Amino acid sequence: MKVVLEHLTKIFPSRSKKEKNAEVVAVNDFNLEIPDGKLIGLLGPSGCGKSTTLFMISGLQEPTGGKIYFGDDDVTKLAPENRGIGLVFQNYALYPHMTVQQNILFPLQNLKGKERLSKEEMLKRVSEVAKLVQIDEYMNRKPSELSGGQQQRVAIARALVKMPRVLLLDEPLSNLDARLRLQTREEIRRIQRDTQITTIFVTHDQEEAMSISDYIVVMKLGVVMQAGKPQWVYDDPANLFVAKFLGTPPINVFKGKVQGGKLYIGEEDVFDVPGVEDQDVYVGIRPEGFLLSAEGRLSCTLSGVDVMGRDVSVVSTNGASFNPVVRSIISADELKNISGDTVRFNLKEHKVFLFNRETESRVYFGGQSAAHAEKLAEMEAEGTFHASHEGALPREADDKPKTETAASRKRGLFGRKKSR
Amino acid sequence: MSRKEKTVKKKSKNQWKAWLYLTPMLILLLVFTVWPIFNTVRISFLCRWNPDLGAIVGYNYSDAMNGAKYQFGINNFINVFTTGDSFLTALGNTMLLTVLTVPISTMLALLIAVALNSIKFLKKFFQTVFFLPYVTNAIAIGMVFAAMFGMVWPNLARPPVSVGIINTIIEAFGGKYINWVDSGSSYWANIAVLVIYIVWNALPFKILVLLGGLQNVDKQYYDAAKVDGASRWRTFWRVTVPLLSPMIAYVVITGFIGGFKEYTSIVGIFGDSMGPYGAPGKLNTMVGFIYDSIDNNQGKASAAALILFAIIFVVTMINMYVSKKKVHY
Amino acid sequence: MKDNRKSYVGLRLTAGILLGTAGACAVVVGMLGFGLFALGTWLSLILVCIGVLALALAVWSLLLLAKIEDKLFATGATGEISRRERAQKTLVKAVLYLFLSVLALAMIFPFYWMLISSVKTVEEYNLATPTLWPHEFRWSTYLAAFTGSLNLGRLFLNTVIVGVVSTLLSLVVTVLSAYAFARLEFKGKNMLFAALLATMMIPGELFTITNYITVSRFGWLHTFTVLIVPFLVSVFYIYLLRQNFMQIPNELYLAAKVDGASDLKYLWKVMIPLASPTLISITILKMMGSWNSYIWPRLVANDDLHRLVTVGLRGADFRDTLTQLPDFPLQMAAVVLVTVPLLLVFILFRKYIMRGVSRSGIKG
Repeated sequence: MKVVLEHLTKIFPSRSKKEKNAEVVAVNDFNLEIPDGKLIGLLGPSGCGKSTTLFMISGLQEPTGGKIYFGDDDVTKLAPENRGIGLVFQNYALYPHMTVQQNILFPLQNLKGKERLSKEEMLKRVSEVAKLVQIDEYMNRKPSELSGGQQQRVAIARALVKMPRVLLLDEPLSNLDARLRLQTREEIRRIQRDTQITTIFVTHDQEEAMSISDYIVVMKLGVVMQAGKPQWVYDDPANLFVAKFLGTPPINVFKGKVQGGKLYIGEEDVFDVPGVEDQDVYVGIRPEGFLLSAEGRLSCTLSGVDVMGRDVSVVSTNGASFNPVVRSIISADELKNISGDTVRFNLKEHKVFLFNRETESRVYFGGQSAAHAEKLAEMEAEGTFHASHEGALPREADDKPKTETAASRKRGLFGRKKSR
Repeated sequence: MSRKEKTVKKKSKNQWKAWLYLTPMLILLLVFTVWPIFNTVRISFLCRWNPDLGAIVGYNYSDAMNGAKYQFGINNFINVFTTGDSFLTALGNTMLLTVLTVPISTMLALLIAVALNSIKFLKKFFQTVFFLPYVTNAIAIGMVFAAMFGMVWPNLARPPVSVGIINTIIEAFGGKYINWVDSGSSYWANIAVLVIYIVWNALPFKILVLLGGLQNVDKQYYDAAKVDGASRWRTFWRVTVPLLSPMIAYVVITGFIGGFKEYTSIVGIFGDSMGPYGAPGKLNTMVGFIYDSIDNNQGKASAAALILFAIIFVVTMINMYVSKKKVHY
Repeated sequence: MKDNRKSYVGLRLTAGILLGTAGACAVVVGMLGFGLFALGTWLSLILVCIGVLALALAVWSLLLLAKIEDKLFATGATGEISRRERAQKTLVKAVLYLFLSVLALAMIFPFYWMLISSVKTVEEYNLATPTLWPHEFRWSTYLAAFTGSLNLGRLFLNTVIVGVVSTLLSLVVTVLSAYAFARLEFKGKNMLFAALLATMMIPGELFTITNYITVSRFGWLHTFTVLIVPFLVSVFYIYLLRQNFMQIPNELYLAAKVDGASDLKYLWKVMIPLASPTLISITILKMMGSWNSYIWPRLVANDDLHRLVTVGLRGADFRDTLTQLPDFPLQMAAVVLVTVPLLLVFILFRKYIMRGVSRSGIKG
C-alpha cells in the first residue's frame, strides 16, 4: 500500500495559559510518498518529530494540518482501527494479563460485522502469524514470562494479525540488548520481505536505519532533512546535519573557506574546487576519504594509530577541526608513509562535502554536481520514492525567539533547504 | 584489642541500644496486644455453673476477683448460639449488610474512578468532593443521615408533623413516604438506609485506591487497544478491569473485613440501642454483640470475638483464593 | 470550511451564554422557591437540579469553545475530527459529567443539610415541607450547644487533651521503634518486625475484651490514662515510618558518625526532618483518630470529666428543656461543630491525609 503524506503538520498547543507562544511544532510540513511494499526508516535525534509522525499515520494523534493517504484513500480523519494499520509500541504494550495467544487474538476479536471471522479462522490466523514470527511455542505464556526479544515478536504478531495495509514500528529495537538488536533487526527485515507490507519504523540509531531500510528519512526538529536510499543519503548528504548524523565513525568537520577556486582548511590549501564562489564553508570529510601521502596537502599532528584488523585508524589533530580529533581510516599498507609527528593527507573528491557556513546546506563542486544530478534522475526514473521539503521551516518562526522551541529552532537553522 | 573483638563489642553495644529504643513499644505491645491474644483465647474457654441463675455462665472479671472458680469448657461458644437468638440476628444483619454493601460500593467506586480518570476539567474539584466523607466522623454524619431519613414525630399517637427531606423528595416524584428509621419502621427500610450510609462512607477510600490504580496504568495499553479496534466497552472489560484487578481485589478484601466489623454506622443512625425506637437490638451486629456482653460476661464476649475472627479469616482466605485465580499477574 | 467553524463557534458562544443565564436564574428561583415563593418544594427542587445541569453545560460549552478558538486562530489549523466522532465524544463527556455531578451532589448533600438545619429555628425545621434554604438564621443554637446539657466545651477540651498527649507520646514511641528497625542492627530484628506486622491482621475486638479487664484491674477506668496508653503503639505507623527511614541513604548516617554526632542527635537532626511528611501524616491521622474514637471511650471513660466528643455527641439528649420535643437544629449544630474541625484539617492537610490513607485502608 502506497502511503502519501501531504503537508503533514503537528503543533502541540502550549501547556500553560501564560505562555501562549510556547506551542511546540513537532512536525512541520512533512511531505513524503512511500512506495508499496518497502521498509522505511524514520531517522533523527530525539525530539525530531519522528514518533509524532508515526502516531499521526497510525491515527492515535490527530494532525494539526495536512493529509494522509493510504493508496488513494484519504485516511486523515479515520480512527486508528479503521485505517488498517498495525502498530508496534516501543515498550510493546502487550496486555500483561493475557497469554501470548490472547494478545494476538485480541484485535481479531474486536472485528465486527462482515469482517468478523469464525473462531476456527481466528485461531488459524493467529497460529499462522505466530509461526511467521516464530513464537508458536510460547502461545500459553504470559508476556512477563518471555524475553525482550520474544515480547517484541509477540507485539509484531499482534500488529500483523489483522493483515494491516501498513505496519508501523516505534523504536522497535531500543529495548533490546546489543546482541538481540542485531538479530531482531534481521528478523524484522525478513518478516517485512515475507509479508510485503509497507513498513515504517522509527529509530534514532542511524546504523540500524541504514542497515535494514529500503529508504530512510532523516528528520530534525520536525522538518525533513533528506530522504532516499540509505547509501545515497550517506554518499550525498544534503546538509551538514545529515552528514554529521550518518556514519560511524562520524564525519570529520573542519572550518574552511573557498577562495579563488581553492579550498582552504586553516592556512593550507587542501583541494582545488574550480568554479565555486568564494565563501566560508564547513568541510566534511568522511574517515575513509583520506589518503596518506608524503606530499599530502592537509597536515595534521599525529596522536595515535589504532589498528582494527584490516583497517587502520589514524588519529590526529588539526587546529581547524570541530571534532576533538581527526579520524581517518586507511588501509594497513599505507602506514609506511607515516614518519614523524606530522601526517599529511590527500583527499578523495567524493568523500569531501562542502557546506555553506551560513545556511549549512551543501555546496557542490567538481564532479559532485554531475553525480548528484545523476542520482536524482535515477530516483525519479524509479518513480517510487520522493520527498519534497522545500521551504519547510516557516520564516515567522524566527520572530518568536521568546519561547524555548523557537529559540532552539533558531539554533538549528541550518541546511533546511535542499535543491532538487 | 584485636579488630574482631572491637567489632563484637561495638555490635553488642548497638544491640543494647536498639533494645533500649524498642523498650517502650515492647512493653506496651506486650501488655495491650500480645497478652490479650492469649488471654482472650483463655477466657473464651472459662465458664462455671451459676446456681443463682441455674445456668452455665462465662468468665466474669469481677466475679473472678471475688473468688469465683472457673473451669475449662466450650460452653461459652454454645451459649453464644443458644441464649436467645441475638447472636444469630447479629450474624444475619452483619452478613446481609456486608453482602449488600461490598459489591455496590465497589462497582460504584469503580465507575466513579473511571469517570474521574477520563475527565480533565473540574477533576480536582470532583476528587475532593468524593473524598469528603472519608474525613468525617461516622457517628456525627450517621446522625445527619438519621435526620434526613427520619420524620419529626413528637407524639407517636398522632401523625408526624414532618416526614423529613428524603420523604419529601420521594413525594415530589409522586411516591409515598416511607418510615425509614423511626418507631415501627420495617426491617428492609432500616437496611436500605444503612446500606446507603455505609456505601456513602465506604466510597472515598475505594475511589482513592482505584483511581490511584487507574493512574498507574500505562497509557500505551489504551493506545494499543485503540489500534486493535477495541470499543470503549471492550477496552473497559478486557483491558482496564484486568489491569486494575489487584486493586479491585484489595478493595474487596478490605471491604469484607470492614463489613464484618460494621458497628459505628449503625450506632450513628440508630444510637447504641442498635435499632429503631421500640425495637432495640433489631439491627445489632457481631461487634455490637461482643460489646453487649463485655461488661458482665467476658467469656461469652471472647467466644463471640473468636467466632468473628474465624469468620473474617475464612472469608479473607476465600477472597484471596478467588483473587489469586482471577487477579492477573 | 472556515465559515462553517466560525458559525459553530458563534452557536456555542450563544448557547453557552444563554444556558448559563438560564441555569443561574433557575438555581436562584429554585433556591428562593423553597423560601419566599409558595412554589412548592418539589418544583423548586427540580428547578435547582435543572439549573445546576444547565450551568454545568454552559461552562462546558464555553470551555470547549475556548479550545476550538485556540485551534482556529492561534495555529490556523485545517485538521478536524469527523463530525460523528466529535458528537460521540461530546455525548460521552456529557454523560460522564452528569453522572459525576449527580453523585457529587449526593456526596455533598448530607453536609449541606447538616449546615442549613443547624441554623434553622425548631419551628422551621418541623415544617411539614422542609425548606432547602432557611427563612431565618438562628445562630444562637451554636451557643446553646456549648452551654446546654451537652456541654460541648468540656467535650472538646477532653478530646484535645487526649488527642495531643496521645499523639505526642505515640510519636516518640513510633520514632524510636522505627529508628531501631530501620537503622540499628540487633538479633532477631526481622523476626520481631514480621511478628509485629502479623498482629495487624487480628481484629481489634479481640484485644478490647482483655484490655478492658486489664485497665479495670489497673484501676484506670474513668481517667485520661485509659484513653491514651492502650493505643500508643500502632504497628502501622511504625511500619510507615520505618519504610520512610529506610529510604534515607546510609551514607548520611556514616557522615554524621564521622562528624561525631551521636545516634540520638542524628535521629533528631537528620532523620526526623527528612521524614517529616510521614510524621505529619501520622500526627493528623492520630489526632483524627482521637476525635472520632467512640467504642473504647464509651466503654471505659463515659463520665462527665473524661467523656470524649463523639461519645458525648451520640449520648446527648437533644430535647427542648421546656417542651420536651426533639431539637434537631441543636443536634445538627453539635454535629457541625464536631465535623468542621475535621473538614478544616482536611482542607489544610489534604496531601498528607490522602498519602497515609492510600497506603493503609485504616480509617482515622
